[in-house]
Amino acid sequence: MFELDVAARHIRSRHRQTIFSIIAVSLAVGIIIIAMSMMSGYTTIWIDSIVENQAHITVHPKENEDYIHLYHGLENHIYNQEGVEAVSSYFQGEAALQHKHNAEGVLLYGINPKDEKRVVNREKDMLVGEFASLENPGSRIILGFKLAKNLDVEMGDIVTAQIPGARPTDFTITGIFQTGTPVDEIIAFTNLERLQDFYGSGDVITGMGIKMSDAYAAEELANGIDRETGYDAVSWIEQNSEILSLLETSEGMVYFFYIVIFTISGFGIANVLIMIVMEKVGEIGMLMAMGTSRRSIMLIFLLEAGILGMAGVVIGCVLGYVASLAIASITIPVPPEMYFGMDHLPIVIEFENFITAGIFAMVINIIAGVFPARRASKMNPVEAIYSV
Amino acid sequence: MSDKYIIQIKNLTKIFGDGVEIKALDGVNLDIERGEFLSIIGPSGSGKSTLLNLIGILDTPTSGTVLLNGVDVTKMSDKERSRTRNRELGFIFQYHHLLPDFNALENVMMPLLISGVKSSKAREVARKVLDEVGLGDRMEHRPNQLSGGQNQRVAIARALANKPSIVIGDEPTGNLDSKASGNIYELLRQLNREHNQTFILVTHDERMAAKTDRIIRLVDGRVAENSINSG
Ligand SMILES: Nc1ncnc2c1ncn2[C@@H]1O[C@H](COP(=O)(O)OP(=O)(O)O)[C@@H](O)[C@H]1O
Ligand SMILES: [Mg+2]
Repeated sequence: MFELDVAARHIRSRHRQTIFSIIAVSLAVGIIIIAMSMMSGYTTIWIDSIVENQAHITVHPKENEDYIHLYHGLENHIYNQEGVEAVSSYFQGEAALQHKHNAEGVLLYGINPKDEKRVVNREKDMLVGEFASLENPGSRIILGFKLAKNLDVEMGDIVTAQIPGARPTDFTITGIFQTGTPVDEIIAFTNLERLQDFYGSGDVITGMGIKMSDAYAAEELANGIDRETGYDAVSWIEQNSEILSLLETSEGMVYFFYIVIFTISGFGIANVLIMIVMEKVGEIGMLMAMGTSRRSIMLIFLLEAGILGMAGVVIGCVLGYVASLAIASITIPVPPEMYFGMDHLPIVIEFENFITAGIFAMVINIIAGVFPARRASKMNPVEAIYSV
Repeated sequence: MSDKYIIQIKNLTKIFGDGVEIKALDGVNLDIERGEFLSIIGPSGSGKSTLLNLIGILDTPTSGTVLLNGVDVTKMSDKERSRTRNRELGFIFQYHHLLPDFNALENVMMPLLISGVKSSKAREVARKVLDEVGLGDRMEHRPNQLSGGQNQRVAIARALANKPSIVIGDEPTGNLDSKASGNIYELLRQLNREHNQTFILVTHDERMAAKTDRIIRLVDGRVAENSINSG
């Protein structure tokens, strides 16, 4: 392969300019790998937090009905579906909570803590007290920490729940939780049976949470439940479709910037190659006189683009990797309740991202090489030789 | 018949320019025998280079034909032209046109590598040819480390490396002083005798031309004189 030899010599003879173009590609690849690692990090955090903190499927009553009656049969039916790990029925109702002169509107969730904790690990969110304290059917309640603050209550305090047409009932606070989401301000948990009593609804529920072994199988099962039972089953994917599509859109936007950055670095390569082609006119003519085909001339300059691009990609990948690790190790001084309780930037280093960035860069660099390479291969050998 | 003549040129015409037309060659007829050592002379602009480039398949004529070994090169595809240049033709120009990033040996290897010869074999052949042109001790030198005469010798070695049947030189000594150019002529003459290759040399040096087998004089794109040197 004399083409490779000639290409390599051209690059070496122009090492100052070629180094600059390699640096440009390295920086582009490095920056994009960092950006991709951050994107992956944020996406992973979002999705993990959704998948961890919400039921994968929520089953609501049929249209025009307020409750799911005879829900034990439905519970069993769903529990026996493939991929279902746990099912937790709940009764949800609006109420006002009062403590001394403070009152707040809340959503009361009556749950069976043994079932609930298998669907969502609420215990990990507890600031004080235990979620399991609700197993006792007595009048116990667990509040979000913002709600507790607004009511100015602490562990052990009594709050009074009120709804129109029912006797006010006192609940003792046995726990306070914090999720870092708006839930902290409006939700309170209590025992399912206790809440059914309070609302006088009888043994009915308003919904059911399902946990799957594979969160991504939720959509399919939700559709199946819809079809088979007529209840309204919503998967986390459907529930969070706005956030998820926002994540996707921003990823698309970012790709646009990737193209811009790579194109700029591609121009660097095109520039060096145009310079080499102009400088080597006589040489190209002589190579043709010696019998080098136009295809080989083209190949020589495409190889040069490839060598420069490849060097840039390899250095850029190392750069991106090291920088991603460095950024991931920096702790940021923010209150832990922000950023999902993280104290550093979410960086997920994915092999896939290196491949994508590398291929992306190589494609653009080769395209950058096409113009100079074509120009060289289309030269008239006589004019090229006598131009010197 | 084509056995005797390695090159047969019939009615060759080359017109340059789209606006103002320049007739660089005007109906040239010329037969060249295998092994001939021939010179083309004539005033500047008479079409010498144009004729040489058409023989070397670097350019295409406006009309007429050039047969190399009986094959009409004007009908060749681009690929065949490259291949024929590589296998059958050796070029020497006024400027050596050596690849500046390669040393003497590597430059001489180049036509062999282009034809697909393995690098070890190419190296062996190139060494031998460089020895033959008297540069056995300068093989590792780059063009910028050699004198004009030495570089031209490397260029000659390169032109001969693939054992072409035809070597064409367009004022191969035009850039050298008279002593160096005399030496180059001696060398070319000697190579021609040893290998029985056909040499076609353009020169404006009548004394050099007088030492060749035959002189073709071009004037205004036509053959004005075609005379065998009695020696
Ligand atoms: N590429 C070209 N375009 C236009 N005119 C050309 C070109 N090449 C040569 N000519 C013209 O053709 C004529 C013959 O040129 P050339 O063969 O180079 O002459 P010589 O080598 O005998 O000096 C000259 O008039 C020259 O100006
Ligand atoms: Mg000329």
